Amino acid sequence: MKSNTKQGTVTRISITLLIIVVSLISIFPLLWMLMVSLKSGRDIIDPSIWIFKPTLDNFKEAIQYRNILGYLRNSFIVVIITTVISIFIGGLAAYGFARFDFKRRENTAFWILSLRMLPPMAIVIPFFIMAQLLNVLDTHIVLIISYMLFNIPFAIWMLRGFFEEVPEEIEEAALIDGCSRFQVFTKILLPLTTPGLIATAIFCIIFSWNEFVFALFLTSTSSTTLPTTVNLFLSITGTEWGEMAAVGIITVLPVLIFAMLVQKYLIRGLTFGGVK
Amino acid sequence: MRLYFTRNPHLVYIMPAIIILLVLTIFPAILLVLLSITDYELGASSFKVVWLENYNRLSTSPEFWNSLKITLFFALITTSVELVLGYFLATLLDREIKLKFLVFACLIVPIAMTPSIAGQIWKLILNADYGIMNHLFDKILGFEVSWLSQSNALMSTILVDIWQFTPFVTLILYAGLRSLPEDPYEAATMDGANRFQLFRYITLPLLRPIILLAVLFRLIDSLRIFDIPFSLTEGGPGNATEFLSLFIYRLGFAETGWLGRSSATAVILLVLIIAISFLLINLLKERKDDTI
Repeated sequence: MKSNTKQGTVTRISITLLIIVVSLISIFPLLWMLMVSLKSGRDIIDPSIWIFKPTLDNFKEAIQYRNILGYLRNSFIVVIITTVISIFIGGLAAYGFARFDFKRRENTAFWILSLRMLPPMAIVIPFFIMAQLLNVLDTHIVLIISYMLFNIPFAIWMLRGFFEEVPEEIEEAALIDGCSRFQVFTKILLPLTTPGLIATAIFCIIFSWNEFVFALFLTSTSSTTLPTTVNLFLSITGTEWGEMAAVGIITVLPVLIFAMLVQKYLIRGLTFGGVK
Repeated sequence: MRLYFTRNPHLVYIMPAIIILLVLTIFPAILLVLLSITDYELGASSFKVVWLENYNRLSTSPEFWNSLKITLFFALITTSVELVLGYFLATLLDREIKLKFLVFACLIVPIAMTPSIAGQIWKLILNADYGIMNHLFDKILGFEVSWLSQSNALMSTILVDIWQFTPFVTLILYAGLRSLPEDPYEAATMDGANRFQLFRYITLPLLRPIILLAVLFRLIDSLRIFDIPFSLTEGGPGNATEFLSLFIYRLGFAETGWLGRSSATAVILLVLIIAISFLLINLLKERKDDTI
């Protein structure tokens, strides 16, 4: 018995250690990027320096000469609009799939899921040609619409699962009380599934904020988003790494903070309606 | 018309989404296939139809076959490593742990981090001369590795992908493990089942839909990967990390502007991904039909 508890302690300690190591590996690149972004001069390319006087020069440079605030604004505009529209349209469709029985329902639902899997690099070529013909290259609207192709299927898939968890009796009672179907949807179902809406929104936001291929091809100077800033630093030397790290921090921080704030919903949403 | 909608009330709800998705997929798909049978070049004023010549040229291009080969290799290795590692970590987390929310906060960092930026910071970390990785390797192990050289770049890209997406698989499987019922475990333990039997005959079947979902997401994502290698290696050195998406990019936009041949490669990538997701989604669907 005694040796048993001893072994238990050893296992527990090694598991704890393992978890700590995994956590550190997970955040190390972020911490390293933060450190580099606060360094100056030769320190930037000297990995042995861990203690230094932090400076915000790299951030100032990036904002002054690289127009980072412009990228940031574009990212916000595109992400917010595409997420709101996708959740609205996807939510409506999810309700249709969750509450009505119709022919070929499952096949249609799985067809929609498969659209989420399309390779951006294949889709972006015709999108590029079409955007050129319609004269909408380098506008916010072209990115907003492109991202809907991925966000709407995802929103339908997620929200359907959350809607189906709500007992139908609640809605039936409201229908008898004289509410229309649409009122039932907006006034009863949506408030009841707020966690699901938040979880869906998080993934739409993370996806759209981080999307690279469409942003790279369809937009350039006036509407391009933060992930394409990597183009500014492709062939990079010496102290420019400091600026690159600063831009990287500005890019990842908003979505990271947001994800932390809604952590609970994010983890709940991760079963993607797969377990019933 | 009104009557039709009264008889099919679901249409009002699903039609907006279906119409948008159809418009966004059918026209581009047709245009892509049409482009793939022309010799259209980026910015050219005229072009002619060459039928299957683009495909013929691809089939004899060693660069294309190399790209296909490393894409499949990359997808298989990353997906299986992330799945095994992710499951292992999920079981570690599936117990009472102090400060668990903090561990999750750490695991969310790679999930939410912009892949193109992650590729870039890893490029600095793995830099042979002034990267922290070689600095640590030198200090601790006494030797250095040229991480992004011709022979190591593919492995390094795989490592970065594993770093970024294992937490994603971990959290999916964790959420799955948490949702499992306890009764079957109690019953089986009473019957004297060992841990392997519990895993093989209870956890695995119950977790199957979640595992399939994780495989679907990861396999497809790594087959279409572009952003990480774009900023980490730009497909190089040489063609060492030129995955299909990067091959399409170089052919059509970066180097030559052969949009026709680039589109033909895109069609092949599209067909490959549709086939694989069709297969996996059908497995998921079987399960869903069972429960109805």
